Amino acid sequence: MDLMEYKAKELYDQYTIPTMRGIVIDNLDDLESKASGLTFPVVAKAQVQVGGRGKAGGVKFADNLEELKEVSSSILGMDIKGHIVKKLLIVEKLEVKQEWYLSIILDRLTKGPMVIFSSIGGMDIEETAKTSPEKVLKAGIDPLLGIKEYLPRYLLSKSGCDMVYFDQLYDLLYKIYKMFCEYDCTLVEINPLVISSDNKLVALDGKVTVDDSALTRQPDILEFRESLPDDELILEARRFRFLYIPCEPDGDVAVMSNGSGMIMSCIDLISQKGMKVGAALDLGGGATADRIKEAIRIILSNTKIQMLFINIFGGITRCDEVASGVKLAVEELAENKLILVRFEGTNKDKGMEILESIQGNVVAVDGLREGVQELDARKGQL
Amino acid sequence: MSILIDENTRLIVQGITGREGTFHTEQMLEYGTKVVAGVTPGKGGQEVLGVPVFNTVKEAVEATDANTSVIFVPAKFTAPGVYEAMDAGLKLVLTIAEHVPVHDMMNVYHRAKKMDVRVIGPNSFGVISPGKAKAGFMAHRIFSPGNVGIMSRSATNCYETVFMMTNRGIGQSTCVGNGGDMIPGSTFVDTLPLFEADPETKVIVMIGEIGGSEEELAAEYIKKYVTKPVIALIAGKNAPKGRSMGHAGAIVGADGTGSAENKEKKLKEAGVLIADSTQNIIEILETIPGTK
Repeated sequence: MDLMEYKAKELYDQYTIPTMRGIVIDNLDDLESKASGLTFPVVAKAQVQVGGRGKAGGVKFADNLEELKEVSSSILGMDIKGHIVKKLLIVEKLEVKQEWYLSIILDRLTKGPMVIFSSIGGMDIEETAKTSPEKVLKAGIDPLLGIKEYLPRYLLSKSGCDMVYFDQLYDLLYKIYKMFCEYDCTLVEINPLVISSDNKLVALDGKVTVDDSALTRQPDILEFRESLPDDELILEARRFRFLYIPCEPDGDVAVMSNGSGMIMSCIDLISQKGMKVGAALDLGGGATADRIKEAIRIILSNTKIQMLFINIFGGITRCDEVASGVKLAVEELAENKLILVRFEGTNKDKGMEILESIQGNVVAVDGLREGVQELDARKGQL
Repeated sequence: MSILIDENTRLIVQGITGREGTFHTEQMLEYGTKVVAGVTPGKGGQEVLGVPVFNTVKEAVEATDANTSVIFVPAKFTAPGVYEAMDAGLKLVLTIAEHVPVHDMMNVYHRAKKMDVRVIGPNSFGVISPGKAKAGFMAHRIFSPGNVGIMSRSATNCYETVFMMTNRGIGQSTCVGNGGDMIPGSTFVDTLPLFEADPETKVIVMIGEIGGSEEELAAEYIKKYVTKPVIALIAGKNAPKGRSMGHAGAIVGADGTGSAENKEKKLKEAGVLIADSTQNIIEILETIPGTK
């Protein structure tokens, strides 16, 4: 779960991490009253879950209220790479001496938290990591120890920064690590971390990712997720504890299975044949007839999809349940889309009988590769 | 032989009185696994399917000399369950649950390394040594005894592979479900030395996927220490790219780590045979003499 900048800022404020004073608006009516406490000039920043908003015109400066009204009205409602701007974060502008980069990430290699720091922060940090990797420092944190004072000392010393910032950096690391642990984060990133003209470290932007598996114990993050505009099918699928995965926008094949590994294998094989997968749905466990029916309804309500490949291999999954679910779904389908079904598990013969009794465009296939070959043979026929 | 579990394994089921725990205890007993104890706090003194239930893992170990535990409890109780098993002196602990918070597993991982405990999972089907014992929830009917050792990040891709192998008369020495989580208790490099040392395992099959660096680490290890043929599948070449926020991911992956291309390249350099589909694994296995 990626948090938007304004939500990250809320958390930073909660942990007394220095940020700029700001407000969040979602309509222009609130602007004047909310902005009355701010000191101009200010920066208005579009809140979208996609990178590159600055280049798309989603970040603008304003020297007074009139200008702020103008830029706010131009950014709210703007389309940035398919994301409509619904919220705007407006913060006071800061005179900046230098831009650093600081993050804590859950590193898959060392299986623990890792600090990444650079004294050359800002938009080009990824380029710096490629061209001058020695300028981007990485240091693991032992989760059984936490942040110790030698860590900020190492970061400043190794990167040739002034030790005058030691106390501030130590304090900052301590706070973001505390937040990283308490909020089940897999990423806390401050870029840029700036030095102001009066030598204070300030977090000017924030990117925070929270572990989805931990949302049950992070009620305010869960609430934030529910408030987000998301793909309607993703939300609808989530209601049934399915995972709906949008793939290629113009894909006309859909894949449904009971595990992410099998879904990836199906997409790989279908792509090898030159077909495009438009969506996938992971059923998770518990493939009962009712759930199968709902899953088919959800994935086929994507109007681009012409063919659906259902591939269920659960061992203890009952094939007759799967087949009954397909039957129920087909009876309610408005369009005659092709459904290929492949299953392995218990009661397979009974399941096959049910599939054969369905009046509709349903084909049983025996095996993963056979299913993909069948899709290939039938593409363009619908 | 086989690795990790066999007919001498004395297994504890943590969460034995739960619906899943009871159902799979029955399955494991039916398969011949020696389930010697169950643990559910507050249910000590009861019996489930003839298996004595204890309040704590320590009591279960003291009374039954158990040496392995499989944990069938919900995600939020998984880490405490692993700690209890480790502190009771067990050296092999398997966890099944999906959606265990990754910070919990991070702490479990580091504690387990310090205590020299092997943790498998979470989000894993467990471990099976066909014909001998199973600990987990895999559908054992599709497995058959043989000399191919399998380790997999994905349950469904492993089932698919095993199903086709068994249909073609090729069996398995042991199948290990690493689980699909960001921080698994054990990864390929933890299991490779066991398969390399196991006289019964002739070929090793590794079912990986995009993301993380487990396959890259395995490639380094194989190059140095593994003499047996290894076949690898990397699933997810055409998976939709996740929306990744921030720059940290790109900085960590600046050398290409995580992509299917990088994994296959590193594995090829280590002499690993690359399969492009589950079915292709079987085709390659059939070209290796002595595979059965």
